[in-house]
Amino acid sequence: MKKIMIVEDDKVICQELEEMLNHAGYEAVVLQDFSKATEEILASSVDLVLLDINIPVINGEVLLKSIREKSEVPIIMVTSRNNETDEVLSMSFGADDYITKPYNPNILLLRIGAVLKRAGKNNDVTTYRNLNVNAKKGVLSDGERELWLTKNEMIIFQFLLNHQGSIVSRDDLMTDLWNNDEYINDNALTVNISRLRAKLTEFGIENAIETRKGQGYILL
Amino acid sequence: MKFSLFLKDKFVFILLFFLFFFLLILLFFAFKVPVVLSNVVLFSMLIFGVLALFLDYFRKKSFYNTFLLNLEHLDKKYLVLETLERPRFYEGQLFYDAFYEINKAMNEYIKNYEFQMNDFKEYIEMWIHEVKIPIASLILMHHNHGNMPKEYIGQVKKLDNYIDQILYYVRSENFEHDFVISEVPLDKVLKNVNLKNKDDYLENDIHLSVSNVRHSVFSDAKWLEFIINQLINNSIKYQRNHVEREIRITGEDYPDFFVLSIYDNGIGIPPRDIARVFEKSFTGENGRTHSKSTGMGLYIAKKLCTKLGHKIEIFSEVNDHTIVKISFAKNHFYQIDD
Repeated sequence: MKKIMIVEDDKVICQELEEMLNHAGYEAVVLQDFSKATEEILASSVDLVLLDINIPVINGEVLLKSIREKSEVPIIMVTSRNNETDEVLSMSFGADDYITKPYNPNILLLRIGAVLKRAGKNNDVTTYRNLNVNAKKGVLSDGERELWLTKNEMIIFQFLLNHQGSIVSRDDLMTDLWNNDEYINDNALTVNISRLRAKLTEFGIENAIETRKGQGYILL
Repeated sequence: MKFSLFLKDKFVFILLFFLFFFLLILLFFAFKVPVVLSNVVLFSMLIFGVLALFLDYFRKKSFYNTFLLNLEHLDKKYLVLETLERPRFYEGQLFYDAFYEINKAMNEYIKNYEFQMNDFKEYIEMWIHEVKIPIASLILMHHNHGNMPKEYIGQVKKLDNYIDQILYYVRSENFEHDFVISEVPLDKVLKNVNLKNKDDYLENDIHLSVSNVRHSVFSDAKWLEFIINQLINNSIKYQRNHVEREIRITGEDYPDFFVLSIYDNGIGIPPRDIARVFEKSFTGENGRTHSKSTGMGLYIAKKLCTKLGHKIEIFSEVNDHTIVKISFAKNHFYQIDD
């Protein structure tokens, strides 16, 4: 389980972020002592840091710099100051991404996923049951036969696969599709999922995607 | 400075001179002064009188004419004193010194206001950043405890949008430029905007298509995102019923420009309103009849566009469509409006 450090001084946000990250399958830890921030972060061996710029004792950008001197841990800067100069500055100090409050929680999760992936800590899952998944080509294969998926079907399948065993809401899927420039609507999502199901069944994979009423889908 | 008007101004002086002149002639006659002597005296008096007048005229003329000319050509008229030397004649010195004092007092007065304005602006910006934190909390709470009504998140987003409007209004009114021009990938900006409005598109059943936007333009990413978000908000807000609703975002590449068009098949804008949509606080018929409007979104969008050097235009037909086009100049030829 990937460990994420939350550096944030607002109690409510901290608590909600922790809950959200835990729910999304990460282990969230919260920085306790801002005066020993650098030491605590370096000692914690986390996989990613969510770093708010506006924190007490030490400025977020200064903290970012001092972490970067010793560690390459992925860092996402979070701020309520929406301006280009701050973003450019943060990125030049070595932040991996920059997101402004208020953020859409699903988008934050996608960004975290993307940063972890880039850092090589969270690759897309490439096997399902006895199948090899090639997301770039959009092909599933068992060595002999190949199953071709459309771009949308592949995005959906990959997302479900990355969260195999846990429930994925329609909104999560939708956000991921839109994030990949596929601006489809509700009906199209339903159609894509049933086509994906049909293709999988035809290929011999029975009951791969289950519907959980009112909650979403789950890949078994 | 006109000579005739100068003479008119000196009328009393000239009148007294001639009175004295005739009095002298009478006196010369009365005391039987020799004609030659009286002629010499009178003639030289006339010469010196005219000479004195001309000398006075030319001395003043050089100062006042420079003053008037500079005043006419100066863009910032209040700086005219800086272009002048202190004159050597008394009236001019009085005038010059008085102006100097007045200028100084005014500058201090303005400085004071500027200071207050900046103070206020800084406070507003700070306040905006403060208020974004509880908004972020609300959104997170909604995400974690999904048992709140559906309208809840829409209201929070509205709040966020209104706050963004103030932020960019303050920024657009500012004398300094706190934007950064760089190559901005349009598809990324559009993705951010579309993701932000995803729920509204889906709820209102609007078909969104985006094409030919894998292109970079010279702009400020944050400002541009705000501008496009205002346009998309309007397109979503002013939809028509009983049609297949759609919003089409397309890019067109021309030799000197890249044009981004946002098309919607919404209610459109009446011809009498269209020229005024970019005016401050203008709401028009749509703002009154369809949805509450502050009339600030497009105003701020236009203002930011002007500052960034983009051209923004709007075309519409009632009950058919509205198209907003933003033109980005290519290469480094963008012009920044002061």
